[in-house]
Amino acid sequence: MLAVAALAWIVLMLGVAVFADQLRPYGITQFDLRNRLAPPLGFGGTAAHLLGTDELGRDVLSRLVVSVRISLLIAFGATAMAALLGTTLGFLAAQHRGWTEAAVLMLIDAQAALPFLILALAVLAFFGNSLPLFVGLMGLYGWERHARIARGLAIQADAQGYAAAVRQLGAGPLRVYLRHVLPNIASTLIVSATLSFPEVILLESGLSFLGLGIQPPMTSLGNMIGYGREYLTRAPWILLAPSAVVVLTTFSVSVLGDWLRDRLDPTLG
Amino acid sequence: MIRFLLLRLGRALLTIALVVTFAFVVLRLSGDPAMLILNVDAPPEAIAAFRQAWGLDRPLWVQYLAYFGNILHGDLGQSMRDGRPAAALVMERIPATLAIALPALLIKVGLGIPAGVQAALHRGSWTDRLVMAAAVAGFTVPSFVLGLVLVLVFAVKLGWLPSGGQDSVLSPILPTITLGIGGAAVLARFTRSAMLEVLGQPYIRTAMAKGVPWRRVVRGHALPNAAIPTVTIIGFMVGSLMAGAVVVESVFSWPGVGRLLITAVSNRDLAVVQCILLLVAGTMVLSNLVVDLLYGVLDPRLRVAR
Repeated sequence: MLAVAALAWIVLMLGVAVFADQLRPYGITQFDLRNRLAPPLGFGGTAAHLLGTDELGRDVLSRLVVSVRISLLIAFGATAMAALLGTTLGFLAAQHRGWTEAAVLMLIDAQAALPFLILALAVLAFFGNSLPLFVGLMGLYGWERHARIARGLAIQADAQGYAAAVRQLGAGPLRVYLRHVLPNIASTLIVSATLSFPEVILLESGLSFLGLGIQPPMTSLGNMIGYGREYLTRAPWILLAPSAVVVLTTFSVSVLGDWLRDRLDPTLG
Repeated sequence: MIRFLLLRLGRALLTIALVVTFAFVVLRLSGDPAMLILNVDAPPEAIAAFRQAWGLDRPLWVQYLAYFGNILHGDLGQSMRDGRPAAALVMERIPATLAIALPALLIKVGLGIPAGVQAALHRGSWTDRLVMAAAVAGFTVPSFVLGLVLVLVFAVKLGWLPSGGQDSVLSPILPTITLGIGGAAVLARFTRSAMLEVLGQPYIRTAMAKGVPWRRVVRGHALPNAAIPTVTIIGFMVGSLMAGAVVVESVFSWPGVGRLLITAVSNRDLAVVQCILLLVAGTMVLSNLVVDLLYGVLDPRLRVAR
């Protein structure tokens, strides 16, 4: 039941992300200086700005809608990148035991030894902040988790008959992994990805909140919360709206992930 | 046992060395620090003087060895902004961070573990569902959102607690709560799964069949076995105290190491960033080592020499 509500929210968010440009009533940098800090409809505001405006008269709803798109895009991209990177490295480690595997394992340990936020901050300190760098950095989040799982499952799969049989028939390692092993372990990897996805959203919002993530004029959920902070007393809706979206979205993806895990792979619990 | 420890120690040192190397490589890759700190249109003589003063004109491998050597001697560089030793800057902020991080850890453990245990013991009941709902809420709400909402309610609307800074005795309350709740939620969830797994084991059934009272079964059999994975997570939490503190300290303007890191990142003050990086890596590695040691104590199977 809860899973249905979660799925509905996620579909809604995806819809918002895809149709952001059609949905938003105003531009994200469009000022309405006569209506600065206007409250949302129902709290003293007008229907012109359903969720109120910020300190420059920019419509909160429009900015929210575009933020959802940007934050979701980054989260998807990052999760996909981390899954791809982690799975590839995990497969490499499983295929060529020995030095490759030892190297990959050591990388996994080193990555797990440092909290990702600190690592991200260090990289941002050293390289400055540019969008491709930021997205690439997000794409590194959680790769070690996927690598561990992929390696473990690939080793297990090797022990089962089908991998050996296909190899006997002359299939090269690429074919073995892509066409045979991957489909069988896909469900576990997908569950692991649904675990990373909300964490990436939280990471990106956190960094943007601190002013070190998505930079203006681009807007993201964390970005909005960061800017809304200064108007906490006078105009709390500026940060409450994006906060609610972040919480509901991460909650929904977590619930969905739990449900998927219960269905696909109860042993992961 | 000794071999186990030595192996762990070796791995720990290797990890720290890797982090140091990573910091060095990234630092050098990121461009000329002289150009970053001084203005782009500073005269070339100033840039050259800066580079010489900081040893940036020597060959790369010499710099690496010097860097490593310095670290071993405790010299972690100087803040390029105000010239004071980076280590000193970090050291003076540590007590403030500990002032909220340690109580937060207490909240995480003191709230999370009992909640998880109770939820597992009364599986499917309202207690269980309530605890799990609270737990999910606790870790899906980002710490900065939680912090800001708490400030809105308790500082702005109710006026009971201060919203930031370190001025009054009541100041640490909100930051500590914000820092602790997320971890308590994760721990509750985790403890519950660990307990459920243990409670499903055959030896629990045997103990009950033997007529052992339920309380003794829980205390003597279930809890100790569930403790092992739980201790791992706690170790991880201790190691990542700093990461959690970064955001919370920003929200509450708390003058700790986390805020120092943010400032240093914004100012590109690389020595301070490196120093904090090492501190965090060291803490993580140390706590992992302690956890490994605790394994030896908690799990008798590991005490047998191999």
